[in-house]
Amino acid sequence: MNRKYELVYVVSPDATDEQVTELHTQVEAIVQRLGGAIEKTENWGRRRLAYEIGRHKEGTYVLEVIDGSGELMKEIDRRFKVTDLIIRHLVVRVDEVQGVIDRTRTKRTDVSRRRRTARGLPADRQPGEGQRGEPDDDRDDRFDMSEDMR
Amino acid sequence: MNGRKSFGGGGGGRGRAGQGQQQGKDGQQRRPMFRRRKVCKFCADKIDDINYKDTRLLMPFVPERAKILPRRISGTCAMHQRKLRTAIMRARQLALIPYTAE
Repeated sequence: MNRKYELVYVVSPDATDEQVTELHTQVEAIVQRLGGAIEKTENWGRRRLAYEIGRHKEGTYVLEVIDGSGELMKEIDRRFKVTDLIIRHLVVRVDEVQGVIDRTRTKRTDVSRRRRTARGLPADRQPGEGQRGEPDDDRDDRFDMSEDMR
Repeated sequence: MNGRKSFGGGGGGRGRAGQGQQQGKDGQQRRPMFRRRKVCKFCADKIDDINYKDTRLLMPFVPERAKILPRRISGTCAMHQRKLRTAIMRARQLALIPYTAE
């Protein structure tokens, strides 16, 4: 059974653009060999790291959304662990979480539609509706987090 | 405990109710008894997806020392605080968010 995974890896800042694309083709090859599919690839470019990783202060982030089996991700994980060019990587399974998110979203819209029709309103929100004219306080004071922060 | 939980915040649970009233009568107190009601940001803004990639969303919950902001201060509900925690921990692994301040 195929699952959906997100793979993010941080490539060392010393790597050239070609080496980054080379890594991507390597991933592609593994995915194809083990019967998966890449759904999306995103290159976030060079970013500052929040902390130093082995003397590196920057890194190139690449995100891949992969449809595949657990063995496939295990293989990628293994390969990335031994690749020196990759300073950090993370594999996260996303299909289940995404399902939960979608369900809460549809549930929320369903509930609001039912309530609106019960009140005799059109099921969907009309543009410009429900907006207060003048807020009494222009500051967003719901989150009073300034104090007590250590 | 004494039903004032929803007012929490500022005092950090210090000071009994009676004490606070006494101070209030003195007049020159730092601030009035009134406290803002805290609301879970994710419930209020209807954010379903607390994602580790969204640093802009997570950063307000890891102030200066880069510790995770406790629920009693941020007012986040239990469910969303759990999700926030996993998101922050994942973001930390990828060096998107610091573990500690230098």
